[in-house]
Amino acid sequence: MRSALQQPFKTAVLVLVWGWLLFLVFTPNLLVVGASVMTRDPGSFIALPFSLDAYRQLLNPLYLEVFLHSLYMAAMTTLCCLLIGYPFAWALSKVPKQRQMLLIFLLIVPFWTNSLVRTYALKLILATNGLLNNALLGLGVIEEPVRLLYTEGAVIIGLVYLLLPFMILPLYSVFDDLREDYLRASHDLGAGRWPTFIHVIVPLTLPGVLAGIMLVLLPAMGLFFVPDILGGSRNLLVGNVIKNQFLDARNWPFGAAASILLTLAMAFLMFAHKLSKKRLGEDGV
Amino acid sequence: MSRWLPRGYLAIVYGLLYAPIIVLVVFSFNDSRTGYEWGGLSWRWYESLFNNRAMVEAMWNSLWLALSAATVSTLIGALTALALHRYRFRGKKVLNGMLFVVMMSPEIVLAISLLALFLLVGLQLGYVSLLLAHVTFCLPFVVITVMARLSGFDERLPEAARDLGANDFTMTRTVLIPVIMPALLAGWLLGFTLSLDDVVVSTFVSGPSYEILPLRIYSMVRVGLKPEVNALGTLLLVFSLVMLMLSQWILTRSKQ
Amino acid sequence: MKKIALASLLAVGLTGCGGSEEPEVLNLYNWSEYMPQEVLDRFTEETGIQVVYTTYDSNEAMYARLKLLDDSAAYDLAVPSTYYVSKMRQEDLLMPIDRSKIEGFDNLDPELVNLDIDPDNQYSVPYLWGTTGLAVDTGDVEGDVTAWEDLWDERFEGQVMLTNDMREVFHVGLRVLGYSGNSTNPDEIEEAYEKLSELMPSVRTFNSDAPRMPYLEGETEVGMIWNGEAVMGRDALPTLEYVYPEEGIIAWLDSFVIPKNAKNPDAAHEFINFMLKPEIAALISEEIGYATPNLPARDLLPDEVADDRASYPTAEDMVNAEFQTDIGDEALQVYAKYWEMLKSGQ
Repeated sequence: MRSALQQPFKTAVLVLVWGWLLFLVFTPNLLVVGASVMTRDPGSFIALPFSLDAYRQLLNPLYLEVFLHSLYMAAMTTLCCLLIGYPFAWALSKVPKQRQMLLIFLLIVPFWTNSLVRTYALKLILATNGLLNNALLGLGVIEEPVRLLYTEGAVIIGLVYLLLPFMILPLYSVFDDLREDYLRASHDLGAGRWPTFIHVIVPLTLPGVLAGIMLVLLPAMGLFFVPDILGGSRNLLVGNVIKNQFLDARNWPFGAAASILLTLAMAFLMFAHKLSKKRLGEDGV
Repeated sequence: MSRWLPRGYLAIVYGLLYAPIIVLVVFSFNDSRTGYEWGGLSWRWYESLFNNRAMVEAMWNSLWLALSAATVSTLIGALTALALHRYRFRGKKVLNGMLFVVMMSPEIVLAISLLALFLLVGLQLGYVSLLLAHVTFCLPFVVITVMARLSGFDERLPEAARDLGANDFTMTRTVLIPVIMPALLAGWLLGFTLSLDDVVVSTFVSGPSYEILPLRIYSMVRVGLKPEVNALGTLLLVFSLVMLMLSQWILTRSKQ
Repeated sequence: MKKIALASLLAVGLTGCGGSEEPEVLNLYNWSEYMPQEVLDRFTEETGIQVVYTTYDSNEAMYARLKLLDDSAAYDLAVPSTYYVSKMRQEDLLMPIDRSKIEGFDNLDPELVNLDIDPDNQYSVPYLWGTTGLAVDTGDVEGDVTAWEDLWDERFEGQVMLTNDMREVFHVGLRVLGYSGNSTNPDEIEEAYEKLSELMPSVRTFNSDAPRMPYLEGETEVGMIWNGEAVMGRDALPTLEYVYPEEGIIAWLDSFVIPKNAKNPDAAHEFINFMLKPEIAALISEEIGYATPNLPARDLLPDEVADDRASYPTAEDMVNAEFQTDIGDEALQVYAKYWEMLKSGQ
């Protein structure tokens, strides 16, 4: 039995965290939903009457095109992160244990210079007169500088660079849990390398893959400063559209509706993630 | 398969990850104004950075914000993790779910919702709004880190403490906190890192009364080549590394 | 021992960083690279008022942020372009300027005061005026570029830069079609959008923070630029030429205004006063290449600045020129919609 003395502590903690989440997570999201079904007002941002105009505007073919293009860039980013990150996490989990911690730590160090500064450093490398072009010209690989900056490719490179660690970390944690005996069992049962990979490793690491996709795909649609700096204010992301609606065009209902679209995408991915975990049983990460 | 193939691969990816950082550090000592060629060693960008009062102030503000956001989120996050671990209460699943949603939410969604909230309640955009926002997005990461540590923790220890007459508060202080100290430190570092790295949320919830780096740097970076930015990035990196070594030192000392 | 350390840490935290007396502060909200640091330093030296200089890259961003921070009295001084002065004045966002605190208002060019945007300059004091024209890097571009229309030329594919300014970019589209750059007719705006979207494959980047930089960095060779930026850019890239397009240049006037809730209007007045000093106005025009409306300042300018056609256009250059005017919120929304479509389209 618990004594009465324990209760104040428990109550205080629960009130604190519930209060925090209700005030700073639940209410704000409710406000956004509210804003999305109101009317734009030039004076005070939003006004009655309620309307679904913002959502109708989302379905405008041109905006749809923006969202699809943004989704395409985010998907390419995620794919690149996965292709680079999957073998990386695997290789990482094979390194001796003490060294793994150091290597994980090295993944985090770049975050200590603000991501804006790192994006800027990428610009130094990708510019027409930049380091990469200079190096390639110097080596005689190319005759003319390649236009890299202010292209779709530059935006994707920037996004991959900023988000790769978010793909690697969840993948690493599933590879770390991958029990050697499963692999050995598969091998003993006569399965070759490739079937083992397809039938054992891939399903076991799927939750990590999905977690990584979630952690990369969603931010990749929101990091508006990457197209601003590397994309020449073109090749916009959904994040740019939302930011413009709030900080330039002052169309809050539309910005809110676009943000809800992102939230729905998140919900969908979370659902998929949950399903994959269920299929593996509760012990799968 | 040889051991060298995976290791070589790791080395290549680390090389790519660090290339921009190395460029940043090296070019912060570059004397050339145009920025693409090497013009000799020089401290001038550090000098011009420190002569820029607004920039230095923004840098201190950023660091102070990251320190305080990390500390507050570690406090609240650790308590939350303890509550989730130890107590049964109604709505536990909802609480868990909400934290997970915060962790997965794209920053931009969080940013505009907080902006709407602060405007509605009339909170002036500045230090307080930034702190609330940063703690909010750091919180779930701290909770997860501490939870992970707690789940591998021998349940009999707190029971023993209680049998010896300790109430929850005393037990938490004398038994639990020492055990979860490494997780607290890890959570704190994670919070510090996330706060310092953030651009998206800060863009929305900061005002001119408390300027932090992202907004200051934003237009600078868009204006073109600014070697001062290289110097600034290098300083941030060095400061964080010093912080980390300090925390390691504290950790090893507290273990002794 | 530990507790003392913790307590002192908290104490430092609570009192902010440093307990020294706060110096008087002026929060200035201005375009990027639109005032030399030297001028700000001299102002602080003379008055003891610290200037916190925050920047924006478009009128829309400035306006949205001012509205957002309306109640918290965030800024003491801002520098909107002509059409935003009238918009903000009509929406009651500005504080009237107390002319008794301003010396040197009579220095201003009579042609640039008492305009429709702000009759009798009750709310605004002109800072600089300038033009948006064509920039051509003659080192890389062969053949003449004389008109906005030339930007559509195939030879410039992937080399064109536009300012990141909705009104200016549409101004170009409208002028090429022969309409007014201040059109409020949705059909004309749509037509301009169609025309501009033909240009988009050629456009490499939008830039309003420092439109000279993409030319200097070798990313673009031709496109739009502000005259002051062209003048500054020429120092580093002598082949950068400023061209007055045949269809007519875009002209604008930027003025100081004091937001209604400014915390420190006295410092704002003092700053405006300082800006109106002929030697300061001359220094600014010389440093950043835009034209000062301050007549005595013009006499102080070195000849090479005063005779620079980029900074101070001749009457001939201004044929077909059009001043940007306020077009109302409704038309702005139409522009905003097409602007976003334009920038997002491929």
